[in-house]
Amino acid sequence: MTVNELIKKVFFIEILQGLALTLKHLFKPAVTIQYPAERKEPFAGSRGLHALVRDSGTGREKCVGCGLCAAMCPSQCIHIYTSEGDDHKKVVDRYEIEVLRCVYCAFCVEACPYGAIVLTDHFEYSGYSREEFYYTKERLLENWDKYMAGNKGKEYLERFWRPRAVDFATPAPAKKEERAKQ
Amino acid sequence: MNNSNSDNNPAIATKELTLNMGPQHPATHGVLRLVLDLNGETIVKCTPYVGYLHRGVEKLAENRNYMQILPLTDRLDYISAMSNNLGYCVAVEKLFDIELPERTEYIRTIVGELSRIVNHLLWLATHALDIGAMTVFLYCFREREKILDLFERLCGARLTVSYPRIGGLKNDVDAQWLEDLYAFTDEFPMRVEQYETLINKNRIWLRRTKGIGVISAEEAINWGLSGPTLRGSGVPYDVRKVTSYGVYDKVKWEVCTGKNGDIYDRYRVRMDEFGQSTSIIRQCIEQIPQGPIMADAPKFTLPAKDKVLTDMEHLIHHFVLITKGPQTAPEGELYVSTEVPKGELGFFFVSDGTGKPYRMRVRSPSFVHVSALPRLCEGEFVADIIANIGSIDIVLGECDR
Repeated sequence: MTVNELIKKVFFIEILQGLALTLKHLFKPAVTIQYPAERKEPFAGSRGLHALVRDSGTGREKCVGCGLCAAMCPSQCIHIYTSEGDDHKKVVDRYEIEVLRCVYCAFCVEACPYGAIVLTDHFEYSGYSREEFYYTKERLLENWDKYMAGNKGKEYLERFWRPRAVDFATPAPAKKEERAKQ
Repeated sequence: MNNSNSDNNPAIATKELTLNMGPQHPATHGVLRLVLDLNGETIVKCTPYVGYLHRGVEKLAENRNYMQILPLTDRLDYISAMSNNLGYCVAVEKLFDIELPERTEYIRTIVGELSRIVNHLLWLATHALDIGAMTVFLYCFREREKILDLFERLCGARLTVSYPRIGGLKNDVDAQWLEDLYAFTDEFPMRVEQYETLINKNRIWLRRTKGIGVISAEEAINWGLSGPTLRGSGVPYDVRKVTSYGVYDKVKWEVCTGKNGDIYDRYRVRMDEFGQSTSIIRQCIEQIPQGPIMADAPKFTLPAKDKVLTDMEHLIHHFVLITKGPQTAPEGELYVSTEVPKGELGFFFVSDGTGKPYRMRVRSPSFVHVSALPRLCEGEFVADIIANIGSIDIVLGECDR
């Protein structure tokens, strides 16, 4: 052992170097945030709670009940029940998502050929029973209304949710007879 | 190894003690259960029991089409989900014979290496914490958080990313993201130096790691070790070098190896990989070309959304692909492995030509490493088990699948 090494060993040089580093960090601003008091905004496009898009023209859901999202869902947490309505149109009676089983892969969004389901960036939700996490059609539409009323709705609609090919925000075209009346 | 007095003195009766460590022990990095036969402080026999985190991923995969399996692979090694996704996609693309666009290869290499950094940061943090260095833990999490933020900006999720797709990626990266990543790689080597200041020469760290858990190169190969655990023994084997995926052949980097095959060398290999990964990311950002991100393979990839919304042909195709999976998958068997941060992750497929794999088998590095744990631990002290488990870098999600 050389003298140099001996000095290093006796005077705990490497440990002092480490302590100096931690001491330096003591005077730097903290990188942590105090969660419930301070909150970090999720980044744009963050995958969180689902919402069903409400068509501003009809006031109903955009969903037509084709079932592609349910077919694509890897955890099989989407359940759709449809029936035959007036003039043989398919009506979505129930659209349910078991949020506790969802893995937030956003494959349902990719699968939807109507742009009718989206993931919002809302991630802080909790409850006391499993039933609270069965999101029905009404609750999912409510999510959409709530999100669009907030300050981020517009940005998300433009950047992520509006399908590129069709004019998504405008109401569905009026039916032939109605147009004839006008 | 240590001959305590009681061993030599027949007057004092001694008996081997069987100790159950885990499955809920914080230092076993998950739910690993070890049954230890102890002679005093020395381990006579170590038996790992796995399966506490078994979720049947391989069986689940048989009932899902190729696209739906992707989120399952996130949950194999949940620390570096991106690498697992990539490994899966690379394997399926080889099965389907899909040629990827160049930009996709570059982006995949970048996120793959980012995932390696995230994994090694978490490994260093927990490994150091197990041995007793608490400060490193907190510093590592600081940098890890930055990369997870980058992941969230990229694809909307921090841990279970599901970012790559078969034949491409979920979305393209933007210029601002690449710039921010470049800025991160500027700063990151300085951070690695900080970790090294704390523990590299620290005498407690050296005493806990040097000459412990030694495994020779030959034995490491025989035990089937891979990744940094193998390279720590001085075997320059890296799947990124020997097979071609990503753009690892277009950037300059070298395989980091150790010499002695002890815990310290495995630690050094991973610390050196921080530098290599950072350098790969920087070169990729400098070279990245413009272009499409999805391969031109309409039989296996979902058509673009704007075409689905306007064109009937594409809409029909979209429906068939989602409800039934790719209908023209070639029949046969295929094994493809990629280098994930923990070692060699392989996917074995038996395809019967339908949209779902007939059988999917995952060759996970953690499972193989756990099997070598008794070899590393036996004859050493109880405290060294913790250091050994840390040094082989296992995640039980991947081990039990």
